[in-house]
This record gives sequence, structure tokens and C-alpha cells, in this order.
Amino acid sequence: MKSRTQHLREASHSWPQPDKQGDTAACLFCDTIHDLVDIQEGEAAYCKRCGNIIYQNRRASLVRATCFSISALIFMLVVQFLPFLTLNAAGLQRELTLINTTTSLMRTDAPILGASVLVFTILAPFFLICGMLYSTTPLLAGRCAPGAEYVVKWVYRAEPWNMVEVFLLGVLVSILKLAQVADVHINAGFWAYAGAMLCTAAAIAGIDRRELWDRLELANES
Amino acid sequence: MNPDHQKPIFKKAADRGLAGCRTCGLMSPMAKQSKCPRCHSRLYYRKPDSVENTLALVAGSIALFIPSHLLPMITVTEFGVAVDKTIIAGMTAFWLEGAYPIALVIFCASILIPILKVGALLWLCAAAKGLIHPSPGMLTKIYHITELLGRWSMIDIFVVGILVSLVQFGNYTSIVPGPGALAFGTVVMLTMFAAMNFDPRLLWDRLDDCNRRAHIGKFAKTFFSPKSK
Ligand SMILES: [Zn+2]
Ligand SMILES: [Zn+2]
Repeated sequence: MKSRTQHLREASHSWPQPDKQGDTAACLFCDTIHDLVDIQEGEAAYCKRCGNIIYQNRRASLVRATCFSISALIFMLVVQFLPFLTLNAAGLQRELTLINTTTSLMRTDAPILGASVLVFTILAPFFLICGMLYSTTPLLAGRCAPGAEYVVKWVYRAEPWNMVEVFLLGVLVSILKLAQVADVHINAGFWAYAGAMLCTAAAIAGIDRRELWDRLELANES
Repeated sequence: MNPDHQKPIFKKAADRGLAGCRTCGLMSPMAKQSKCPRCHSRLYYRKPDSVENTLALVAGSIALFIPSHLLPMITVTEFGVAVDKTIIAGMTAFWLEGAYPIALVIFCASILIPILKVGALLWLCAAAKGLIHPSPGMLTKIYHITELLGRWSMIDIFVVGILVSLVQFGNYTSIVPGPGALAFGTVVMLTMFAAMNFDPRLLWDRLDDCNRRAHIGKFAKTFFSPKSK
């Protein structure tokens, strides 16, 4: 015997979908056409031909995406004021904060490099986090923020240019490089940035693209 | 009927006149509109001029890869004496000092990954053009790995930025980025754009072409060959 709540949960295992939408999906990697199937929370639909994920139903997707975006935003804001590394050499002390990498490259005749580092380590992560927050928070109340479809489109386009994890490895390599000539310590900023990295990844992966777009479309209609 | 011809037949969206949106996944008929009604992205069956664009970007990155390793990555000034350092010089210094892990990280990020990435992209382009027999299953995996690994090469640029900002002790020691850093950063960005421009669906199209040709060949053999011996 199944209880009533169980029935209800099973009846609504997929996210709400717009009616007029076609009942097929194509694999992004081999273009094989598939009929849409309802999947349980935590499951994923794979391509029959090439095995890539076509869509997945993430658990508590909206809530998770929103909460992880908020924590990622807090981490990112905190990171701007905390030093990453402290270096002691010959009685002199220097501290490295995130923005220093950009400003010092700009100062030393490498403006293009400085600008790209600014984009990869600060602007892209901020845009991803704020974009997710901007689109998912109103969706919790079933509403669509104005222009959210453009924001979400650019969030997914900006995703490969978010290089927080690469920068973290870069910090570790620089520590090893400098350890021979100076006394280097990891500081709080490093850990906050690592937290921002994990939360951003969890926010983006927390909700499937297809689900986010379906929800946006529904909220736009109503 | 041959039992190995009982393989499931996969229908392609493009054959039905449908284009799946790359951004939001909505299927739309191509004939009616060229923009996705839901997210306003451009619609296409296959990325236009995908192989040509990829090859052009790969050519650019190969051209810049050589100067990026010949030109100095950083210039270290100690007590007024300036020394240029290339990526390879820095790496060998670490290796000789016995700092093997860091030498390996630098080797992978600045030499191995770019070369593997360019090689993989050329291979993918050749397969998409039908020059080599396509094996899309493996090639799609290679494409995934290429997309995933490419960004890690940027680590060199970040290390340069960190060193430049930390090691500024006035007249004692200072580090300034060299032209090699800019060249290398451009290489990484070009290869990333190249990987984004490649359309893996072309690989499966070539496989289907091959299967169709083989099928027609078999058909021709059974019907047009002399039956009596
Ligand atoms: Zn597929
Ligand atoms: Zn779309």
C-alpha cells in the first residue's frame, strides 16, 4: 500500500513543463532525436546512441541553485578584502589579494593580460553567480525577472571563462616557486576563494539547463 | 535479413527539419525561423563553417605557440641586473633543483596540454571532413577531454600575475611580465575558441555516411553480381 503523499510525489516527479513544447529532445553531441521521458529526481536521461546526458532532474534544484549562489556571492565579496598569500623576505612583508594580480599586470605594461585575468578571475565568476541568483530567486515564487532569458543565455556562454579553480592551482604553484627564496603563507582569502569555487560549481550544476529554461518560459507566460 | 542489421536505427533531428537549440534545448522547425523562439539564440542544424573556423583558430594558435616559448615569459631584475626567463628555462631550473612535481605541473600546463589539444583538434577536424575513418564514440570523448583540459593552461598566466604582484621589492628584486606571456595567453584563448567552434555532430554524420555507403555497396553486390557460377 502506498500512502497518498507518496502517490503525489510520484505523480509530480518531473519539473513543470510548458504544454506547447514539442515532445522530443535532440542530443547535443550526435543530434539523435529522442522522445521526452519523465525521470525521477536524481535521475538523468542519456543519449541512446552516444551516451551523453541529454537532461537530468536535479534534487531540490531551484532551492539549491539559489542557496549555493547566495553563499558563492558572499564568498566572492569576502574574497575581495582578504589576502591570498603573505610573503616575508628580508624583513619585508607583502600581501597578495585577488585584485592585485590584475592591477600589477596593468601597471607593468601588460594591460591585455591584466584585463583577461580580471575577466577570468573576478568578472566571469561574479557574472555567473549574480546571473544565477537573478534568474532563480524570482522563480522560487513562480515569477520571471525582466530580461532573465538574456541573462541565463549569457551565463551559460560565460561558463567556460570562469577560471577560479585554475587560479587556485596557480596560487599553489606560485607558493612552491617562491618557497625557495621567501617565507610564504596561505591566507584566508585562498580558502574563501575555494569556497566560492565549490559553491559556484554547485549552483550551476544544481539545476539542469532544460529545467531552468522550462521554468522561465512558464513563469513568463503566467 | 542479417541479424547484425537489426541494430536500432537512430533518427536525427536535422533529417526531420528540426534544430535543437544549443542554449536551451528547445526543438524548433528550421524552415519557419532562424532564431530560437525561447532564448533568441541563432538556430542551425550544424554550426556554420565549423571545421574551417576551428582550423583557422588552430593555425593561429600554432603560429603563436612557437614565439610564446622563445620569448621571455618574465624578466627578473635583481640589484639592477635583468634576466629574461622563458617557460622552458623556468621548468628545467625546477627539474634540476629536484622540484619534480612543480616542474611536471608547468610541463603539463604549458607544453603538453597545448600540443595535445592542437593535435586532438586537428584529428577531430580530419575526421569531420571524412579524411580518416570516424569512430565518433572515442572522438567525442577526446572532444570532451579537450574542452575540459584546455583552460588549465591558463595557470601559467596566473602564476606570472601572482609573481609580478608579490615580488616587487623596489631596487632589490622585481619581476615584469615579458612578451612570451601575452603570446601564451593568446594561444590558450585561441585553442579554447577553436574547441568551442567545433561541432561534434559532424563526426556522427560522417559515420552515418560510411554506414550508408557500406549498405548501398552490400545492396549492389547482392543484386547486380552474376548469380550463377
Ligand atoms: Zn548522443
Ligand atoms: Zn533556445
